[in-house]
Formats: sequence, structure tokens, C-alpha cells
Amino acid sequence: MPAPAFEVQRSSDSTKLNVRGSLDINTAAQLGEEIDRIVVDKPTLVVVDLSGLDLIDSSGVAALVKLYKGVRSSGGNVTISGARDQPLAIFKLLRMDKVFNL
Amino acid sequence: MAATIRLSVPGTLRYRDLAVRIVAEAARLVSCSAQRAPNDPLDHDVRDPFDTAVVSAFSEIFNNVAIHAYKRAGGGTIEIAITPNDRELVIEVKDHGSPFDIDEVAPLPSELDADALPEGGMGIHIAKTMLDEVTYEAGPPNLWRLCKRLPGGARASTRV
Repeated sequence: MPAPAFEVQRSSDSTKLNVRGSLDINTAAQLGEEIDRIVVDKPTLVVVDLSGLDLIDSSGVAALVKLYKGVRSSGGNVTISGARDQPLAIFKLLRMDKVFNL
Repeated sequence: MAATIRLSVPGTLRYRDLAVRIVAEAARLVSCSAQRAPNDPLDHDVRDPFDTAVVSAFSEIFNNVAIHAYKRAGGGTIEIAITPNDRELVIEVKDHGSPFDIDEVAPLPSELDADALPEGGMGIHIAKTMLDEVTYEAGPPNLWRLCKRLPGGARASTRV
């Protein structure tokens, strides 16, 4: 599986995080380091685009939950969009699709 | 009974992706799901609900074995036997590491809101929910048996 490629774009009013590839137990730690940096910045809005995400497992979900909780705990908001196929099925199974408004 | 595909890999996460790819292809033998269109930007071909269930569940079980049975340190093998039948896929995952206490897995919160989102303990829930059967026999050797059947006794729809 390819490593998750992710890119972060910071602007004055939001932080955009695009995740591609497979976000799983072997790759979530890499993203987790980036998530730690995002949370420390206390952004007002984080926009997560998962349209390029192929596969996700529970470790990948945990990484995104960590981002969601971390940003919200400092008063920010997180929007997640673009999930499809296997990742969307996982979010629905875990009933997170409604929390994340997927 | 169809031929069984057997794979033995070292019990570390390094071999997870290899095993997942083989399981994904075996799932496609049962679901007959179509290959992804060549211009689709996604690399993986896991869209069919049957393939999605099998790959998602197997990935979590492999994670569980590498983490809990072999403590992320390897030292043993993970033996995988995949049997694709006409309407079901059976996967047995055997390891020689520490037994896993499946009864200690906590259920997901019944009410899930933004504050109650879990950050762990989701893997076994995913496997159990995605599949028709998940059984575990503590060993050694420890044995997971996973089974996914096509809905309604028919092959899954072919998608392009």
C-alpha cells in the first residue's frame, strides 16, 4: 500500500489537510505528527479533504478523531469531506459519519 | 471445496500490506467486482461492499495479531489460509503468540457524539460488524476464523 501522502496548507482563516493513499496502522503515526503540529497552532478551522483516501483502518480513524477532538478542545472547528468507498463505509459502521457530517 | 490459498508471513506489521493485497484479490474472486477504471485517481480497488468488508476486517485482525500476539516485536509467523467458495470467503489466521482476550474488548458507546468519539478499541468491532462470522480460539496456536458471505446467495453486482 502506498504511504499516505498528506499536505497541509495554512492560511489566515483556515488550515487545509489533504490525505491520500492508505491511512492505517503503518502510516497513521506520520500523520499523527502533523496533527500534533496542527493542534498546537490552535486553528479556528481545519478543512480535511479525504477524496484521495483509498483505505483506512481503526488506527487511521483514531488519528482523525485525535485531530477533531484536539482542534475542538481549543475552540476551533473541523470539517471533513470527500470520504468514499471503503473509508466512508468505515465511518458509517462506526457511526462517525453523522458526527463528521459526511 | 475450493482450493485454499496459503500464506505465511513474519508476524510484524511490515508484512501487513502484502497480506492485505492478497486477501483483497481473493475477495474479488468471490465478489467478481470489476477492476477500477484506469483513470480513477485512487490506487486501490476496494469499492465493492463484499471486498470492503473482507479487507477492512482482515486488516484489523492482522493488526491485532501483530500488536497483541507478537507485541509488535515479531518472533513468529502469521499463517493465513484463504478459501474462496462460490458464495463466501473463509479466512483463517493462525499465530503462535500470546492469546488475546476477546471478551475484554469494550463495545462502542451507544450514543456517539463529538465528545464521545473513541480513539481506540475499534478494530474488533469493525471486524465483527463487517463479517458474517468471527470466531477466535485461544491457543497456542491462536486461531481467528473469518467468514463473509455474498448477500442473498448471489454474486455481488459488478461495478466499473
